Amino acid sequence: MSDGVVKILDGNTFVVSDRTGDIEASATDPTGLFSFDTRFLSKWVLTVDGHRLNALSTDDLNYFEAHFFLVPGTGTVYVDAKMSIIRERAVGDGFHETLKLINHDEKAIDTVVRIEAASDFADLFEVKDALEKQGTYSNAVEDGELVLRYERDTFGRATRISSSEPAEIDEGGLTFDLHLPPHGEWSTDLDVVTALRAFGEIHRRTKYGGNGGKGKSQMEADVENWLETAPRLESDWDSLRTTYRQSLIDLAALRYSPPIAGGKSLPAAGLPWFMTMFGRDSIFTSLQALPFKPELAATTLRVLGDWQGTRSDDFRDEDPGRILHEMRYGELPAFEERPHSPYFGTADATPLYVVLLDEYERWTGDGALVRELEYEARAALNWIDTHGDLMGNGYISYKRRNEATGLENQCWKDSWDSISFRDGRLPGFPRATCELQGYAYDAKVRGARLARLFWQDDDLADRLEREAADLKERFDRDFWIEDDEYYALALDEHGAQVDALSSNIGHLLWSGIVPDSKAPAVARHLMGARLFSGWGVRTLAEGEARYNPIGYHVGTVWPFDNSFIAWGLRRYGFKEEAAQIAAGILDSAYYFQGRLPEAFGGYERSITRYPVEYPTACSPQAWSTGTPLLLLRTMLGLEPIGEHLVVDPTLAGGIGQLELLDIPGRWGRIDAFARGRVHADTAGRLRPQLAASAPSS
Amino acid sequence: MSDALTDFLADLATRGHEPLLAKTSGSVCLEVSDGNGDERKTVSIDKGQVAVLGSGDAAADCTLRGSRDTLNRVAAGEVNAMAAVLRGAITIEGNWELLVRFQRLFPIAAERNATAAAQATPVA
Repeated sequence: MSDGVVKILDGNTFVVSDRTGDIEASATDPTGLFSFDTRFLSKWVLTVDGHRLNALSTDDLNYFEAHFFLVPGTGTVYVDAKMSIIRERAVGDGFHETLKLINHDEKAIDTVVRIEAASDFADLFEVKDALEKQGTYSNAVEDGELVLRYERDTFGRATRISSSEPAEIDEGGLTFDLHLPPHGEWSTDLDVVTALRAFGEIHRRTKYGGNGGKGKSQMEADVENWLETAPRLESDWDSLRTTYRQSLIDLAALRYSPPIAGGKSLPAAGLPWFMTMFGRDSIFTSLQALPFKPELAATTLRVLGDWQGTRSDDFRDEDPGRILHEMRYGELPAFEERPHSPYFGTADATPLYVVLLDEYERWTGDGALVRELEYEARAALNWIDTHGDLMGNGYISYKRRNEATGLENQCWKDSWDSISFRDGRLPGFPRATCELQGYAYDAKVRGARLARLFWQDDDLADRLEREAADLKERFDRDFWIEDDEYYALALDEHGAQVDALSSNIGHLLWSGIVPDSKAPAVARHLMGARLFSGWGVRTLAEGEARYNPIGYHVGTVWPFDNSFIAWGLRRYGFKEEAAQIAAGILDSAYYFQGRLPEAFGGYERSITRYPVEYPTACSPQAWSTGTPLLLLRTMLGLEPIGEHLVVDPTLAGGIGQLELLDIPGRWGRIDAFARGRVHADTAGRLRPQLAASAPSS
Repeated sequence: MSDALTDFLADLATRGHEPLLAKTSGSVCLEVSDGNGDERKTVSIDKGQVAVLGSGDAAADCTLRGSRDTLNRVAAGEVNAMAAVLRGAITIEGNWELLVRFQRLFPIAAERNATAAAQATPVA
């Protein structure tokens, strides 16, 4: 509940309100009731006798429901509360809200309750980019319901608002003239239904309306079951236990069932902007969650496989074999004014698709899925060397074909200034960022394993292995900056090195493309003062021209980035360095109440003493939510080898005990234990030594 | 009279095995909503084996219904099928997954690749 905003969500439907439950959205701010990337309510304001209410407390009990306890009067003066107002809201196909008034006085009261309702039916893209609407609005009272409508040609969206108690309904809202006896109560059930004309399923009622809360208790049971079937964490570090639980709850909240997934879910990218399927985000989060919730990976692979590109379409930056970037359902994609139905402009999701498929099989032993997705995986491997290699130089690079509304930077650092030379110049296109070559290498190595073991294609396996070895050699030759001993951030359109020092070199360790002889230098840079802030590795090193500790991809610390860097350090045997990054990031989670943000400031830890949240960061964000999970894997040194799970823990100093029980996989369930050294007060939640001391194993 | 939809279906009928649908089985019905009521063609897919059936067949696993103009433009690759579904120009009944697989078969009009990006609304 940071910044005074309350968010509840269910799939791609979510409500963002203020602390009283009111919604009063401006054109550009993401509050309201949203579903399928469209805002269905931009105004939902409760008044009693013409006055707004004051929040005594707000509880978001579960990710899909919130309770608001309100009294009349403003917060700045003494409140003589003779009346309480309670709003209990649960989201699902719109939302259901029980509104209750309680008269605490010995005298009866007459009062007028009013709810103002309106919708601008903004597409999320319009909210982000402040665009004008082209269709027409109409509000009407029909069959005792207030219906808000938006229509443009065949495109139709409507919000239907009804009340269980009699109300005077006009085109701007609902009014209740009430008489409450002494110590009397009154309540009504309000339903706000999001109705689409596009999906066959037109909602007639909200998920929890009119069934006595039965559906809600099922949702609660579902969340309980989700938590109970996850591995159990035991630790003397209280904050870590809080963070772990918050991660699991947020991961449950971010589950999203696209219309074609047969009721199964995959991780959506994040609230509020990204409650939809993203290739990159869904893959990274599934990788992070593999030791905990492997079923997310299976759905991600299947659904992304269904949507895999098959044609060349410039508008969507689609190619045969390419894995999608982003799917959207709003008005602008519907009229092809935006390419997101789906949009394919990502250069990393395609190799990462193969990486996830292999890693998933290593954990679960689900060879059937590897066989089922053989066609998709082969098409993805093929993309790397064909459409992915824009310059014909053996490297994946990107340049959008949709110049108007496509994405310029098609790597995870997708903001305009994220890829720069040391002196701040921006390279031209195509750009071949270094981590893409690592992913391609890893995809080939893993693809070879799958080809040999599951597709009975030794020729393909041999070829992929040869290509991987060749790529590793070329990459080291072309990207290595001899004088400074690190890999360039990218090659520009002329094949010249884009020489800034960045966190991307950490992903190279994760992919295994770095020769053993060069790994110590890479690790030294990652843990050096220019990149490591004390909390984590900065996206761009201090000293680079574009470095800015609160620049989106040019100096902030991204928890997700760090989780893969830590995994990479482990891979090359830098256990203590990995443990230090894990400890730094997990320690920062304490300051965010266990919910890691998308990014936080790259300020030196000793200067700010607490991590500074990046101003407009999405929260919860799927791959930040997955970060503690991957860091736990890294600290415990969990690695599936054949039919077994190897446990090889290294903990940072300050963590005394860490146990992860019932880790699911092809071995059934296994427990992992770690012991570390604690030098200080273990009762305290803050352990300064996490950031400073030498790790112990 | 020949139109894009007819040509598309005629082409489908000659394909036999379609590798893009190798794992797909089911039937997809294309129905013209502003015709005389009997303009529907069903395409059956059996693990990639594609056959075009006549009109008047039993209910399909997935039915796409739209105006003749819309369906022609989708079949010609001028309009994206998913976008048409999102804006209600095509309605869909039945199995969504089949639609996602089936729409792989629609072409992209050649001129689209040259002009589409230029026609899009610029970012504000």
